[in-house]
Amino acid sequence: MTTSLHACEPHHHRWAGAVIAGAIGAILVVVALGLPREHAPLPAIARRAMLGALPDWHTTEPVNAIVYGYRGFDTFGETFILLAAVVGIGLLTRRKESRSGFLGEDLAHDAEQRRVHVGEHGVTLSEREALEAEAHEVGEGRDVWPLLPDAESVGTPGPERAEAMTVIVRAGIRVVAPILTVAGLYLVAWGYSPGGGFPGGAVALGVILLMYLSVGYRRLRRAVRPEVMEPIELAGALAIAALVVAGLLFAGSVTANFLPLGPPETIRSGGILQLFSVSELLEVGTGLTLAAFGLLTMGHEWSAVDPE
Amino acid sequence: MIVGNYLVAAGIFALGLYTVLTRRNIVKIVMGLSLMEASGYLLLLSMAYRARSTAPVLLDPPHGETTTQLAHGSVADPMLQNICLTAIVIGVAITGVFLAIVVRLVQHYRSVDADDIRALRG
Repeated sequence: MTTSLHACEPHHHRWAGAVIAGAIGAILVVVALGLPREHAPLPAIARRAMLGALPDWHTTEPVNAIVYGYRGFDTFGETFILLAAVVGIGLLTRRKESRSGFLGEDLAHDAEQRRVHVGEHGVTLSEREALEAEAHEVGEGRDVWPLLPDAESVGTPGPERAEAMTVIVRAGIRVVAPILTVAGLYLVAWGYSPGGGFPGGAVALGVILLMYLSVGYRRLRRAVRPEVMEPIELAGALAIAALVVAGLLFAGSVTANFLPLGPPETIRSGGILQLFSVSELLEVGTGLTLAAFGLLTMGHEWSAVDPE
Repeated sequence: MIVGNYLVAAGIFALGLYTVLTRRNIVKIVMGLSLMEASGYLLLLSMAYRARSTAPVLLDPPHGETTTQLAHGSVADPMLQNICLTAIVIGVAITGVFLAIVVRLVQHYRSVDADDIRALRG
């Protein structure tokens, strides 16, 4: 880092920032004082959703009836914003592909840099060796780290280098993870969770991150790799698009229900709500997992020697 | 008094904006943007609140009310809860994109100072 972050953190235009933020804050305060408060009657649109959830959709969750029913088109758009963001994260975090032919600038640059640094800038051979050793540690040295910390005795000095956590954490998470998974899936499948697939997907990500924390990336790598997650995510997005179009074809409007409604509080209540919700669970769960692991496993793609 | 929540939301928004405007550390700028998002969630959920209200769930309404009574009585606004849900998902996705860009910027410029990132300057 070129700037020392701890000594004195640099700021930009403190006073101008304070004036602008204060002015916008003051405008927001004036607006907030005019907003409806806790004794205001419910807006007509909210009352419509409360009264319509049972007769229209046979669901006891008005929030679900709004998310996947009355405002389904909005959720459809939101799904694809999420998909675009996940694709963006994938694009930014993925490793550079090795190029060949005319596109070998990176290799040419590395070779040139090594020559320039030894020759003109007076980097000595020992410094070069140190830098290369450091690069080796950052890159390949990772695989020699122990997977489980159990072999090291408690209280060993130095940083802990194992990927996984101790047997206590692993055992705890092994107990909790299946319960969390079943609870999350149950709430989504029976339509009891407000928001359905969105909180369900967040629970799925939580379980996967707990597993990552407890057993380490190396054991989880095969399950969370993009080749597995991306088809599931796109299948969820495709199912949502198909549901929206099917509503238009069979029931005359986008996201309208075209399935028979089961009795309330069963897995078949809600018609397309449940299908939409489960598709959203697939899309959100895998999308957030892809985003999280894209960020967690980002490679170092700078050259070992600072070009400055 | 729910108006207190509104004022706190406005304050958090202004605080986030101040962070974005004055900090030079790009990680902290992203944190400021997240703070501005969070103020939106607080405002939406506070606006959904009604005095002595229950959750917008039709399963076993409290005090033996029917669902019709529930809809006309005090229940939290389900529409605003839906909009907050949407906002949270979009917020998470956007923060992820920001953080990915920040990591790439830091790797390229080897600095988290926004003033060092000026390769587009003529």
